Amino acid sequence: MPRPHSRRPAPPPERPHEDEGLQPERTTMAWGRTLMSFVVVSAVFLRWLPQHGPFVLVLFGLAVLTAGSIYLTQRPRYARSARGIAREESAPEAGAVLATALAVLVLGALGVWVVLVLV
Amino acid sequence: MGEQPGTPGRRRLTERVLGGGEDPDPRFTLANERTFLAWIRTALAFLAGGIAIEAFTADLFDEGIRTFLAVVLLVLSMLVSAGATFRWIGVERSMRRQAPLPLPLIAPVLAVGGAIAAGVLVVVVLQG
Repeated sequence: MPRPHSRRPAPPPERPHEDEGLQPERTTMAWGRTLMSFVVVSAVFLRWLPQHGPFVLVLFGLAVLTAGSIYLTQRPRYARSARGIAREESAPEAGAVLATALAVLVLGALGVWVVLVLV
Repeated sequence: MGEQPGTPGRRRLTERVLGGGEDPDPRFTLANERTFLAWIRTALAFLAGGIAIEAFTADLFDEGIRTFLAVVLLVLSMLVSAGATFRWIGVERSMRRQAPLPLPLIAPVLAVGGAIAAGVLVVVVLQG
């Protein structure tokens, strides 16, 4: 990735940061586990199909979409956190955090609606 | 794709959510993010539990109890998810101002909610 305005030269790709606690790796794996949880939730939603009908596919799709977005953003997110460690500059993932929480909230609210209203 | 910690758009969102202050140690920010993700997985477990209660226990519980348990678990997952977000923001803000970290509020919510669901189950099982 070209980074014309960076203040320091890019670290070598095989060693993007010097953190011995491997914080960027651990955080990326935590996102990966969360991704898997969304996949599991999407699969469990499919068990609602016989009872609640095709609207459930919206819930299934939303959970799959969230998992997919986490998957597709893993690389750039890892790169950002490794760069943050390398430059001693914190880069909080406000967008990803808020979007993930919102996805759970919407899934929960739609789930309550399906159970109470749609039947 | 080539966004960096200092990209204007990313900075703007971060600043609007977290306010000013100084950048904390990036390791603390990542640790806060992992804690948030652990809470989100807890919320997802409650979500899956709520769906499963509604989907699998049709011949085990009465309609009303099943619906009640499912709704309790689903609402609990929403509370945990919202609480995790506020905690993430609160911790990040405190670190930027070198202030003490906020008290965890989600833990008591989780305890009370779990106790309600378990209590209902005990009553239902005892009544056969």
